[in-house]
Amino acid sequence: MAGSEDEDDYMSMAIAEPTQPLAETSIQRVARKKREAALKAQVKSKAEKAADEVAAREAALATPLLDTSNKGFKMMAKLGFKHGDTLGADKGGRAEPIQVVLKEDRGGIGLDTEKKRKFREQVNHEAKRVKADEVEYRERVRLEREEIKREGQIWNAQRVAEELTSKAKEASGPLLEPKVTMPTPKTAGQPLSSINVLWRGLVRQRLESDGEKRMRHSLKSVRSRLPTYEDPDLDREDLLALGRDEKAGVFEEEVEEEFEGEDPELDDFNALPSEQRLERLVIYLRQEHHYCFWCKYQYSDEEAMGDCPGITEDDHD
Amino acid sequence: MANREREDSDDGNPRAKRPKIEGEANGKTRAQNGFGGDAANDPSKNPYLQHRYPQATGGGGRLDNSMRHKTTTKATEALENGPNNPFTGSKFSQRYMGILQTRRDLPVHAQRDQFLDKYQKNQILVFVGETGSGKTTQIPQFVLYDDLPHLNGKMVACTQPRRVAAMSVAQRVAQEMDVTLGEEVGYSIRFEDKTGPNTMLKYMTDGMLLREAMSDNNLSRYSTIILDEAHERTLATDILMGLLKEVVLRRPNDLKLIIMSATLDANKFQKYFHNAPLLAVPGRTHPVEIFYTPEPERDYVEAALRTVLQIHAIEPAGDILLFMTGEEEIEDACRKIRLEVEEMVRESDAGPLTVYPLYGSLPPQQQQKIFDPAPPPNSHGGRPGRKCIISTNIAETSLTIDGIVYVVDPGFSKQKVYNPRIRVESLLVSPISAASAQQRAGRAGRTRPGKCFRLYTEKAFKEELIPQTYPEILRSNLSSTVLELKKLGIDDLVHFDLMDPPAPETLMRALEELNYLACLDDEGDLTQLGRLASDFPLDPALAVMLIVAPDFYCSNEMLSLTALLSVPTLFVRPAAQRKRADDMKNLFAHTDGDHLTMLNVYHAFKSDEAQANPKQWCHDHFLSHRALTQADNVRMQLKRIMEKNEIELMSTPFEDKRYYENIRRALVAGFFMQVAKRDGNGKTYMTVKDHQSVLLHPSTVLGHDSEWVIYQEFVLTSKNYIRTVTAIKPEWLLELAPTYFDLSTFKDGEIKRSLLRTANKLKSKEFATKGRK
Repeated sequence: MAGSEDEDDYMSMAIAEPTQPLAETSIQRVARKKREAALKAQVKSKAEKAADEVAAREAALATPLLDTSNKGFKMMAKLGFKHGDTLGADKGGRAEPIQVVLKEDRGGIGLDTEKKRKFREQVNHEAKRVKADEVEYRERVRLEREEIKREGQIWNAQRVAEELTSKAKEASGPLLEPKVTMPTPKTAGQPLSSINVLWRGLVRQRLESDGEKRMRHSLKSVRSRLPTYEDPDLDREDLLALGRDEKAGVFEEEVEEEFEGEDPELDDFNALPSEQRLERLVIYLRQEHHYCFWCKYQYSDEEAMGDCPGITEDDHD
Repeated sequence: MANREREDSDDGNPRAKRPKIEGEANGKTRAQNGFGGDAANDPSKNPYLQHRYPQATGGGGRLDNSMRHKTTTKATEALENGPNNPFTGSKFSQRYMGILQTRRDLPVHAQRDQFLDKYQKNQILVFVGETGSGKTTQIPQFVLYDDLPHLNGKMVACTQPRRVAAMSVAQRVAQEMDVTLGEEVGYSIRFEDKTGPNTMLKYMTDGMLLREAMSDNNLSRYSTIILDEAHERTLATDILMGLLKEVVLRRPNDLKLIIMSATLDANKFQKYFHNAPLLAVPGRTHPVEIFYTPEPERDYVEAALRTVLQIHAIEPAGDILLFMTGEEEIEDACRKIRLEVEEMVRESDAGPLTVYPLYGSLPPQQQQKIFDPAPPPNSHGGRPGRKCIISTNIAETSLTIDGIVYVVDPGFSKQKVYNPRIRVESLLVSPISAASAQQRAGRAGRTRPGKCFRLYTEKAFKEELIPQTYPEILRSNLSSTVLELKKLGIDDLVHFDLMDPPAPETLMRALEELNYLACLDDEGDLTQLGRLASDFPLDPALAVMLIVAPDFYCSNEMLSLTALLSVPTLFVRPAAQRKRADDMKNLFAHTDGDHLTMLNVYHAFKSDEAQANPKQWCHDHFLSHRALTQADNVRMQLKRIMEKNEIELMSTPFEDKRYYENIRRALVAGFFMQVAKRDGNGKTYMTVKDHQSVLLHPSTVLGHDSEWVIYQEFVLTSKNYIRTVTAIKPEWLLELAPTYFDLSTFKDGEIKRSLLRTANKLKSKEFATKGRK
């Protein structure tokens, strides 16, 4: 310890002083004295003092006194008191003195606990939010992708179903891979409500977009003959003479009628989650057409269908 | 209605003023009051008065025995109805008859039969009666009429935790029994004994009964002992319970014990007293609606003021009781509320509101003001006036104020805390217990259904408050108590049957301190000094200081000083005149510290100039006349004890240059365990042995920076303070308390080094003196 120049060392000078094994040199002594003086002269800030005060108090309050060398303890020991005992006839006394709690502000009862609780809660919440965000984001993105994929599958399945159904109607033809083709006029000619709800949405959508096309087309054609106005006096011949597309008008009306009409069955179906819609389509294709959506193959009959690994996509992995 | 209320408050409150109807004439001329031939009126035929007519009764003893513990409610009621007082023989006064009716309306009266039955059949009885049931005034009278203590030369004792309560209840009961206070009914409190040879019912502080037990271990003067307000669990009540538990076994046939408590948590008492029977009387209370704050309050003082003002603004008529922690807080709140109310009256036509403070150190006549009726409306038909009392927890149990409808409870009180580890005994602001909170709320339902506003959340009430306040024995320095117990003949302090035994460290510290004071020897036995010290109703250190004072030729001065230290503070410091008050205090200041300053004050007070008009003189000098006269009284009592024990009273001549030094040395002889040394050149001091960093309290008078001081008190507030401080010399410590200042037991450090230097200096001086011889 002697001669050590550690910063910490001179702090413990109290213990070190006279009985040092190694005599310090005069230079060392002067240096030490200087350090000591500097330390003494250093005025502690109020905050430091207060902190010291509290620390000393807390330390003393936390130190049990029971010490066998204490005279009071010896007197108690004579009466049979041992370390760890409590006082009283049935030794039911308390072991420790009551805690000294200093109240330094005017906060109401429960304020400290409430503050602590709020702080803890906030910390917890923050941690959770960060964690939750990561997981949630990944999950959401995954689900969104799946949803898009499934909508695509549904669309495909609907088209296959429509194709196969119309083919089956014409008589059973040769097995073929369903092709992506434009709808046949036959479907278009049917009333929408007679189409199976499973792919009615598809047909309706197509009609809508077709209708729009036609409308746009007819508008263009009308515009080309400007100026124009509706004249209720004009009869069919007049219209024809004027070059107005009487047919288009009729068609328009038709489509509009269909489109405007409520279709609760379709709405219900569309409200189903995509998984269920797809499942129903797949099952329909299997049962009606022995077609497996996942194998992309139309089996000849029920029996041949046994070769298909199963009804779900997973079965086909 | 208003009339009736006033009547109630007059009778229900034990401290209410009453006309002094029983003058000297009543007491002295009783015998010739002339109620001649009528047999029913003949006092000599009255069984209660047989002791006054020994020649007339002859076989009176037999009659006594046949009556005692066999009376019935019917028979005693007939006696109470008069026309003559069975205890004095004089005719009952008109006033007595009026009070009798009110007494019979008290809830306890309905259960008088049950009480007598249980009292007669059992030695110990636990009696539970809520505040307002009338137990404190009525039960002792029920006992008197059945126990007839005066016939056997005994008394009935009823203990109270507070001096004020003992005095005021005794006064009230004397009035109820139509006797002179100090005759049949008296009281005994520390430094004041108002009893006489005829006294049969004695109200006393629990501490006084404990002191009596020290000279009469079986308390044989009493045939019945009633421990009232036992739920308060004061130190003395707890010790008395432990003691009486043994005494009842020694006196199975001629001592009865009644434990009275105001809370329903009486099972603990029953269990402690070998499953004693219980009798409970409901209080006369109304429902109290309790409101909590939705959120914890940031500032309970501000919240309290806000709540009071809100009540005043919107609630229907009814007085307000607000609980605060201490004098300063209370005075501050009073001022602020008065200001705000003035504005409310001006701006929103609110009713008048009178604010009264209430705390222990307030002069009695000012305390009395809380019973004044609320102010009338400002104008005819205007908003009703009300009063608001801002009180410490005195108003929680010990005082009954009628008319309170709203209670505001911030949930704090100042409570004594003692920790043996740093030897600090301080009053600290602490949360109250749930039991206290209930008690406070109950104060709102005395006259009609009330409301209690708790300035904390319901959750905090349920989760943060301790269920019961810690009994005082767990929060006190026990050195006085240990000395008392030793004197009571209880040697096995470790296994003494206390209801709530304290921590072992507390007992250890007390034994150690008494050993250093040489009151106990190393075996733990009482020494001659200890025996002597226990005779003084004082802290052991003060007692020792007083006993050894003749060695320092200043026992007169130490006697005065001890008396001054036993009363509340001498110095008055009103908030508005702090500067002037401090200037006045400086007139008495002694450069060596507070003890000598106090002595200067006392000497000046006793001077002819001051005694010409002491009240005015005290007022002019910002001194408490009450405290000084009280000190005078205490001094007289202590002087009597000193004379009894043949402790010489002497003074060093004032001209002697050692006059003050002798006093300071005598102080060290008692307070050598309360020493602090200055830290370097700074303002902080370090307590010896406990190593606590402390500051001199701002009230301290110390003319110079003394390196060593003794202190009377170690106070914890936001800072550690030592209060009532006097400068001393380190040599005295080594010389007067060598055992305590055995430096080999000291921790290394500045204090030890400094004392070692002092020791060396002393040694060389001694050597030099020897060499010269």
